[in-house]
Amino acid sequence: MEEKEKKFTSVSIPVPLFEKIKKRINGTGFTSVSDYVTFVLREILAEEEEDEGEEPFTKEDEEKVKERLRALGYLD
Amino acid sequence: MTFLVIGIDAATWKIIKPNINELKNFRRLMKIGRYKTLILNEKPISASAWCSIFSGKTPEEHKHKAFVENGNLKTRDDIKVDFIWDILHKQNYDVRALNIPFVIPPYNFNCKFKPVGYGLPETPDEWQEELEKVTSKAIEILEEKPDLLCVVYSLLDRIQHFHWNEPIVLEWYKRIDSVIGKLILYADKFIIISDHGFCDRDDAEVQTLPEKTPRGEIKGDHDKEAILITNIDYDIEKLQDVFYAIMEEMKNGQGNYGNGI
Repeated sequence: MEEKEKKFTSVSIPVPLFEKIKKRINGTGFTSVSDYVTFVLREILAEEEEDEGEEPFTKEDEEKVKERLRALGYLD
Repeated sequence: MTFLVIGIDAATWKIIKPNINELKNFRRLMKIGRYKTLILNEKPISASAWCSIFSGKTPEEHKHKAFVENGNLKTRDDIKVDFIWDILHKQNYDVRALNIPFVIPPYNFNCKFKPVGYGLPETPDEWQEELEKVTSKAIEILEEKPDLLCVVYSLLDRIQHFHWNEPIVLEWYKRIDSVIGKLILYADKFIIISDHGFCDRDDAEVQTLPEKTPRGEIKGDHDKEAILITNIDYDIEKLQDVFYAIMEEMKNGQGNYGNGI
């Protein structure tokens, strides 16, 4: 199996924002501003994936699924 | 480091072991890791079993028994548990789940994927399409080096229901073997698991399907003997242990797995 190193890079944020985050994470489970920023960005990206991702599951889709389930014998 | 969990719905040693010389990736991974039969304590039903594997809960705890209840399709929101991806995501790990068939259509987490035939591939063309699409999406994700990817192939279950004891079954195991070889290149740690085994319909623990269906005669059905191959130390004895094995591995691998805190 290949050894795949996790890579990190730097992103600049305004110093006042950095300081604000530093205060906010005090006493939380976040041990650094980077951890917090990574968490927030992942949350946003995950939400966006969810919004863009799955097309809405319509009544028509549901009927098609049930047709397949019937064809395979899962539904009477 | 990436921890890769490959689920193969309905994979059974009954096909793998007698044909191991034709399944080179299974053979290699069994050699470098450990392998065993997991005897299910619960009924061998896919919806419930995949839910147990990725939530660590027993069927009595997660209460998810079937794809359909009272004529309605069950959805993720109907199942009141946190899955491994929910928990690790909150702990700042980069976790993805692809094509997980505890519900229909199969569930995805942190990735965009449209399952083939709503996760119920019916024909050889659709089986092949699922194999290719799931593999291609899994590789796309693995190239981003997530901390954990859980991915499931569902096609073998359908193939075995309709073609059990026919040569075509081994043909599809060979194709699965080939894609495992591609995915495993990206993994440091891995678990390969099935949700149940397979056998003649008459010998089956449960008859999940009637003998005659609009798609043809059902020749095989589920038994309680799931497969497990892994290179992690955690002693996995039952389906739910996969959840705890992943949690333990992430905890022990702190600093190696992404930004986990």
